[in-house]
Amino acid sequence: MANLKETFLNPILKGNPITVLVLGICSSLAVTVELKGACVMALSVIIVTGVSSLICSLLRKTIPNRVRIIIQLVVVAMMVILVDQVLKAFAYTIDKQLSVYIGLIITNCIVMGRIEAFALGNKPWPSLVDGFANGLGYGLIIIVVAFFRELLGSGTLFGLHVLPAGYVPNNLVILPPFALILLGCIIWAHRAFDKELQEK
Amino acid sequence: MNTNGNIYTVVYTAIIVIAVAAVLAFASQRLKPLQDANEKAETISQILNAAQFEFDASSNDAILAFYKENISFAMLLDAGGETVGELNTEEAEIVGLSELKAQNANIKNGADYAIPIYFFKNGVKVVPIYGAGLWGPVWGYIALAPQGSEIVGAYFDHASETPGLGGKIKDDPAFRGQFAGKSVDYADAAYILGIVKGGAPEGKANAVDAISGATMTSKGLDEAINVWLRAYAGFLNQQVEE
Repeated sequence: MANLKETFLNPILKGNPITVLVLGICSSLAVTVELKGACVMALSVIIVTGVSSLICSLLRKTIPNRVRIIIQLVVVAMMVILVDQVLKAFAYTIDKQLSVYIGLIITNCIVMGRIEAFALGNKPWPSLVDGFANGLGYGLIIIVVAFFRELLGSGTLFGLHVLPAGYVPNNLVILPPFALILLGCIIWAHRAFDKELQEK
Repeated sequence: MNTNGNIYTVVYTAIIVIAVAAVLAFASQRLKPLQDANEKAETISQILNAAQFEFDASSNDAILAFYKENISFAMLLDAGGETVGELNTEEAEIVGLSELKAQNANIKNGADYAIPIYFFKNGVKVVPIYGAGLWGPVWGYIALAPQGSEIVGAYFDHASETPGLGGKIKDDPAFRGQFAGKSVDYADAAYILGIVKGGAPEGKANAVDAISGATMTSKGLDEAINVWLRAYAGFLNQQVEE
């Protein structure tokens, strides 16, 4: 088993779920119009991936092989509903803004992918770190995307005006296609920077 | 132990599902009061927004306190404009969305209904509207001046309209801003208050521009407004004539 530091850093850099594995694209287009929403979404995904991985890892020796995907799904669904309920109680406006996308974390391939690929074959502690780090890798990218989209699309950051009053907000930036263009640029930059990621 | 046997699999799955259900039921029960309070505060802030109040929306308590300070009374009306119930304004009692949905069905089916109207101390009265947008329900509040048929303001919300298109009924201040200064006209055969595609006719006081690119949402909202305003006709007409 790789050491913990590797487990933690790999999903953030060389094995980043968005820029390298290209998972979780749908939600990263949808929730990155504003930084605040993106931060809450990032936090939600971190908690869901981390805790689901931990629970599945604890259960890994008891889970019947034939129904393991269903068990994983039940655990992930539980976490997603819990996060949604907590947000509805304590951060109602943000939950409304994120609307269906919190519920859709369950369909985010990162969560199930990490449980299937890592948590079922590793001890609880590394699994928690792996799930947590994958959520973080996802979160960092959507926060970067949201930073540019809110700055250029609305002239604000966290709802505060930062660009001079004369700045005309760019409507294209608000629309999902721009997020895809930006994401493409980030993937390009990541690959240009890390030669190991380039295929021959 | 054989973890692949049939009995083991069935029992294991059952236990996991029951455990998860228990956790969720517990969480839902504990968080419900907080969630309800949030929903109620949001509805109240929408009513206040429609009535063009400037208020501190930073916390639920601030919203409720402002509402209690400024509300005069609120009651439930039937088709004839008769009062069939009162809302306790000291407790900031309001009619929530699920109830509006039920009343919307009553209005459309021609059944008896009891729909709310809120009177503020400055004389402004607010009525809700509810209907179907493109993807889900749309609703909102229209504030009317103390006398006559003038509209003070309006606020709309939706469950799942497309952001940037139908979502503009909520997100675009310019859309709801159109309503202030317009008026409702019960004598107009076409609509009491219309949302008109291609732009409101020049000089027409009871029409506003629809949202381009959001025809179905605009139509749905237009229907919601007219169905509900008609439901208040018994009461409002009486007010207008006086």
